[in-house]
Amino acid sequence: MEKILTKKALPQWLIKLNAYQIYAPVKKENHWSYEALDKPESIRLDHLNTIQSPKMIIFPQREVFFEFHNAEGNTLVMKEPASESSATVIFGVRPCDAAGVTHQDKVFDGHFKDLYYWKRRNQTILVGLACNTPPSPHCFCLSVGGSPHSTAGFDILMTELEDSYYVESFSKKGDTLISLAGDIFSTPKENDKKDKEKAHSDSEKKLKRHIKDLETVPPKLKDMFDSPLWEEESLSCIQCGICTYLCPTCHCFDINDEKDSSSPLSGKRVRTWDNCQFPDFTMHSSGHNPRPDRASRLRQRIMHKFNYFVTNYKAYQCTGCGRCIDKCPVGIDIIEVLEKVRDYGK
Amino acid sequence: MVALEDLKQEAKNVLEGGTVKYIIGYKKPAVGFMAVPAFFHKPEDLDALVWDPTCVHNLVLFLKDEKKKKLGQKEPDERPVGIVVKGCDSRAVNVLLQENYIDRENVYILGVSCGKTGMVDLKKVRKYFKGKIISQIDFNENESFTVTTTEGKVEVPAADIFAVRCTECITASPVIHDVLLGGDSVRTPENPFGSLEEMESKSQGQKWDFWQEQLTKCIRCYACRSICPMCYCDECVVDTINFAVYPDTPAEEKAQKIKWVEKSPTTSENFIYHMVRAIHLAGRCVDCAECERACPMDIPLRFLNKKLEKESKKLFDYDVGYDTEIPSLISSFRDEDPEDFIR
Ligand code: SF4
Ligand code: SF4
Ligand code: SF4
Repeated sequence: MEKILTKKALPQWLIKLNAYQIYAPVKKENHWSYEALDKPESIRLDHLNTIQSPKMIIFPQREVFFEFHNAEGNTLVMKEPASESSATVIFGVRPCDAAGVTHQDKVFDGHFKDLYYWKRRNQTILVGLACNTPPSPHCFCLSVGGSPHSTAGFDILMTELEDSYYVESFSKKGDTLISLAGDIFSTPKENDKKDKEKAHSDSEKKLKRHIKDLETVPPKLKDMFDSPLWEEESLSCIQCGICTYLCPTCHCFDINDEKDSSSPLSGKRVRTWDNCQFPDFTMHSSGHNPRPDRASRLRQRIMHKFNYFVTNYKAYQCTGCGRCIDKCPVGIDIIEVLEKVRDYGK
Repeated sequence: MVALEDLKQEAKNVLEGGTVKYIIGYKKPAVGFMAVPAFFHKPEDLDALVWDPTCVHNLVLFLKDEKKKKLGQKEPDERPVGIVVKGCDSRAVNVLLQENYIDRENVYILGVSCGKTGMVDLKKVRKYFKGKIISQIDFNENESFTVTTTEGKVEVPAADIFAVRCTECITASPVIHDVLLGGDSVRTPENPFGSLEEMESKSQGQKWDFWQEQLTKCIRCYACRSICPMCYCDECVVDTINFAVYPDTPAEEKAQKIKWVEKSPTTSENFIYHMVRAIHLAGRCVDCAECERACPMDIPLRFLNKKLEKESKKLFDYDVGYDTEIPSLISSFRDEDPEDFIR
């Protein structure tokens, strides 16, 4: 389905969607972040890259699996928390972040379906916005199989034209959202279509960062496990959780029992994000740590994204959003690291 | 003002002569204009060394890695590490010396003075130059910076884009050094704790609301801890497991480890984490404000540390990082302390 929505009518559309929980990018003092939108008229779609991607909504950093307590007679009672998820629409999603969701889908699907993930995911509708101008100086989606107007993962993609949005729906869920406010949409004219296509092709030219010959990297990585490159490139890494926690594709998690009280026993089983850059990530209970230093952890980040994931899922586990580059406090730049891998030994 | 060529020459002299193992300094990034930490092992690499108002990092942080690396080596190279150090960073060296974490002969300090200004704040720069592409920022002799964009050079008053901590700095040149470049720079800011005033004037309830909102944003990436030169504990209370675990540590002992902070980034756990961090830095934080700069979630962490610096000054007349001979504030007491509870 293809429609035109005037910019002025956008809040009216949102009002019609009041049965859904709506998230949209909100401007803060120094950044943008996805928040539950309570006033439709406050929506703005001129956002730069949000600090966190919609991963924070679909795969939240903390999730309670069940609560437990010791009841009379020393019996353990377990109870699932009341479901907090409801039908959700995320507005203004950038194509790299939607691609991130499709990568998460691959991981949480397959042999073991992650029911917790899919409960939220199946209730989420992604309404995207094509990037007419790159929302980050470090965007490089074109190099990793994406594009500023990629439709992957979207139910709807909007493209900003002069006074309107070109709205394309690719799913039943998307069609429903449009039909809920049917009368405010109009049918695109031939020149609207042309304008949209022009916006798309122009946007590709505006990307500042690229990695040439990235396809040579995965095979090369297979022989670089013991390379001294990892030590050289990780010298300044402080092993924080920024690059992985903010990455729309990183999905590692940890499960812990959090006790509220020891006697009588009560608590919760909780899943939280975890990340491979923390020194305790691979620590064994014997005290042995197979990834004992910065070098082995940087290697893991690169190997997982550009070697193992490629083998397992035929895609890079990176969508080129640029967050890890922009936010790394010591300026470690994944593009630079990949280029060094590519040129290594040349 | 520091002449970059002089700094390079000094660095080359000690690296070529073998006085130092390697030098920790700054270089330009692949893309962008904010300098990044760099490790120089060969004299010819030093051509890439830079010194400008984007050299925000407190490189003293990397002395932690150096110490840990040496501990793991049988016959470590005992030569010092050369390190480029600003005024605030130099006080971090002093705290590490005072706490006997490092020895004076472990470091060769290439001190650089910030002159009349200091370091830029990237957030302010981005706001000021909205959308423009910056290639370089330079110091000037007066209280301004020269910013080069694709549209040319402009002079910007320092006050518009530099870090708040620099406006409150009294030691813009290193207090300890082996060589000093750019000369002494002593400043007398009108109110060295001025940035706290607005926060201090808030009511208790307003403060609670403020921190509730701020700390709820925390994703517990621990960048604020990991970037801090003072956070050098082998094991931190927030880590989920204990590093002092060996193959022969019995299971009961492992099971009995106290979990001080849960991994969940809930508001209450985040409060605990930040209280622990703040308290452990009282009388130790040198206000390099690296924690706040590193925080991806834009949490104003400097308030907490600055407030404790102020308390240390007010209650104990303690200045951080000037005197390596006095006992450190949080590991000492005085018989004549006015507070009863301590005796
Ligand atoms: S690469 Fe940067 S963001 Fe990632 S762990 Fe290292 S210091 Fe943190
Ligand atoms: S690896 Fe970096 S650039 Fe790639 S998707 Fe993750 S955060 Fe974005
Ligand atoms: S750097 Fe920011 S988000 Fe990360 S742990 Fe510290 S306060 Fe939290």
